[in-house]
Amino acid sequence: MKKLISIFVLLVSFAFTSNSYSKTEIHWWYGNSGFLGDVIIEIANRFNESQDEYMVIPTGKGSYEDNMAATIAAFRAGDQPHYSQVYDAGAAIMVAQVKNGVVIGFEEMAEKYGIDVDADNYIPGIKNFYADGDGKMIGVPFNSSTCLMYANMDILNEVGIEEVPKTYEEFEGMAQKILDAGYIPLLQSHSPWIWTENFFSRHNLLMTDGNNGYDAVPTKTLFADTEAFVYHWTKVKEWYEKGYYGYKGRAWGDNQAPFTNGEAAFWFGSAASFGGMKGVLPNFTTNPIPYWDSVTGGKEYPTFIGGAANWILNGHTEEEYRGLAKFIEFMGSPEMDLYYHNMTGYAAVTKGGIELAETINFYRASPYHKAVGDQLGLEGSTIPGGYRAGNWPQIREVIYENVEPMLNGDITVEKALSNMDKGAAKLLKQFAKTL
Amino acid sequence: MKKVQFKSNYSQYFFLAPQLLILLIFLYWPIIQTFKDAFTMQDAFGFGSQFAGFDNFLFIFSDPSYFTAFKFTIIYSFVITFITGSIGLLLAVQANKVMHGKSTYKTLLIWPYAIAPAVVGVMANYFFSERYGLLHHLFNNLWGFNWYENVFDAYIYVIIAGSWKQISANFIFFLAGLQAIQKTVIEASIIDCKSNIRRFWTITFPLLMPTTFFLIIINITYAFFDTFGIIDTTTIGAPGSETKTLVYKAYIDGFKGLDLGSAGAQSIMMMIIVLVITIFQFRYIEGKIHYN
Repeated sequence: MKKLISIFVLLVSFAFTSNSYSKTEIHWWYGNSGFLGDVIIEIANRFNESQDEYMVIPTGKGSYEDNMAATIAAFRAGDQPHYSQVYDAGAAIMVAQVKNGVVIGFEEMAEKYGIDVDADNYIPGIKNFYADGDGKMIGVPFNSSTCLMYANMDILNEVGIEEVPKTYEEFEGMAQKILDAGYIPLLQSHSPWIWTENFFSRHNLLMTDGNNGYDAVPTKTLFADTEAFVYHWTKVKEWYEKGYYGYKGRAWGDNQAPFTNGEAAFWFGSAASFGGMKGVLPNFTTNPIPYWDSVTGGKEYPTFIGGAANWILNGHTEEEYRGLAKFIEFMGSPEMDLYYHNMTGYAAVTKGGIELAETINFYRASPYHKAVGDQLGLEGSTIPGGYRAGNWPQIREVIYENVEPMLNGDITVEKALSNMDKGAAKLLKQFAKTL
Repeated sequence: MKKVQFKSNYSQYFFLAPQLLILLIFLYWPIIQTFKDAFTMQDAFGFGSQFAGFDNFLFIFSDPSYFTAFKFTIIYSFVITFITGSIGLLLAVQANKVMHGKSTYKTLLIWPYAIAPAVVGVMANYFFSERYGLLHHLFNNLWGFNWYENVFDAYIYVIIAGSWKQISANFIFFLAGLQAIQKTVIEASIIDCKSNIRRFWTITFPLLMPTTFFLIIINITYAFFDTFGIIDTTTIGAPGSETKTLVYKAYIDGFKGLDLGSAGAQSIMMMIIVLVITIFQFRYIEGKIHYN
């Protein structure tokens, strides 16, 4: 009898738990960890609580690179998630995969299943970054960042600097003062992203041929050919030798740590680094990244959108895509957009989110959040708002490999930049063969 | 001698089948896939696949960082083999002499062998951290240590990280080798020669040659393949690509760079390199070793 009762109890409990399994499951893979990963889980939880039909299951796969590799491996094995977060450097690969039926464009999915969505809900600049040649939105904008300059105001007050530098010339003028006071004037966490890709966008310069890959498949990068870029790295090397700029290896966190510990005056990182810094460093500000006044003639240009988008993968049922569309709609609501913007420091990506922020005077309460939108919203660029170059993750590796010997004096700046061009040209050629 | 003949009734195939199946799935199939990848050009998702001949091989041979990785792998495996072998031997000889608490010494010296390379790398990371690393501070006081940009310093970092755990493996095998030497041989040699050191080099060490040879192969394969986790958790190949091993480069190009063609070609090159080294060792070194 006891046995029978326990079997019965077991069966009943199964019946209750299976309740959650009867919902349509939607798998979402992501490449953020730590605090940012927690926020993603929270978003999924809120969606799951908001309705009963669908259940979004978020799975963290490690870094952006890890998640992309995992998604590809899963696709090749026929076991792909519905929705996956792929970063900026992988955008060219993902957009190219629409024709192979790997990725379904957001608007295409909506048409195919008669789902009523509004792609124009997203800010044009961000939407276009993840759109195909015809302007149709492929990837769904999500965590959109850009590089920003963080400043430790306590250090600046101590050495008597009142205004944060807007230009590199201004920075150069104040660096010695900061160094003399015993602080590292400048650190940055990502040489390929901040001081290569976004150097070009910030100064309105083309980075590759073929109009950054928007008009034609790029065959070469324009590093050594761009005078301003050579000038910039010559200066960086000079700063490094004088101690104005401190290089702490390739790891993002190793370069951020001295700033977070109050040992450095300025640090270039991501808009999303803000969440982890708030409450740790008492008195810091977020500011647009500096530019060379001598290069732009005093004009400021927007940087590229960094971070990642979510991509819809093919091979699932209509019912699941309907659920996914609901989830996308939920994430694109003004409240969720602002919630994410507030929590992480990533830019608000929807028009509704920005309007809501203005209505509630959000930026007066939290001025940190303003810089990212300001910098991305600048106008007047004549170059595309991004780059479409394949094998870019490896090209970033090539950039890193040449920055280090350049800084330690093994090779000259010109040599390092032409090495980067050579390495990149080979990788671009390799990618072009697979198209 | 009379040969024993079993009557074949195919039952042996039945018993072999599970083993063969495992080999097929986990060894032969991946090898075939690797060859396929190496000779095709395809995008990350496996589309646009086309026969590429030797293009992938030409691609890696025209890549200067491939030769850097090759150079580093050779240096790294020789240095690791030498360091772990000599320290392991020294420790084994000393531990063999200990009278009291022998098993405690042994256990403590064997322990590091049980630690996964990636964990060793994370531990080394702490020792070499600029912020709180003991070894970083020690070396920095001695000569201005900076592995972020100095190749020699980065070598020291990965060599120490890579050797530590492997010393234990060498220790175990040398100790076993020492204990297998017959007491009578040692006692006879004591009568003939007073010098400890001379006795070691003329009697004990030659008798350890089979163990040494075995360990050289084990250490080289370790440095080639198993240090992957250590590199990934310490220098990630920096500065430049100076501390990338061939395996690590194949991983970066294949899984981070999503270029399976190049990674496949690199794997095949690696197979050839290991094959050549092993053949060389068996032909030219093993001939000089006496197993008894």
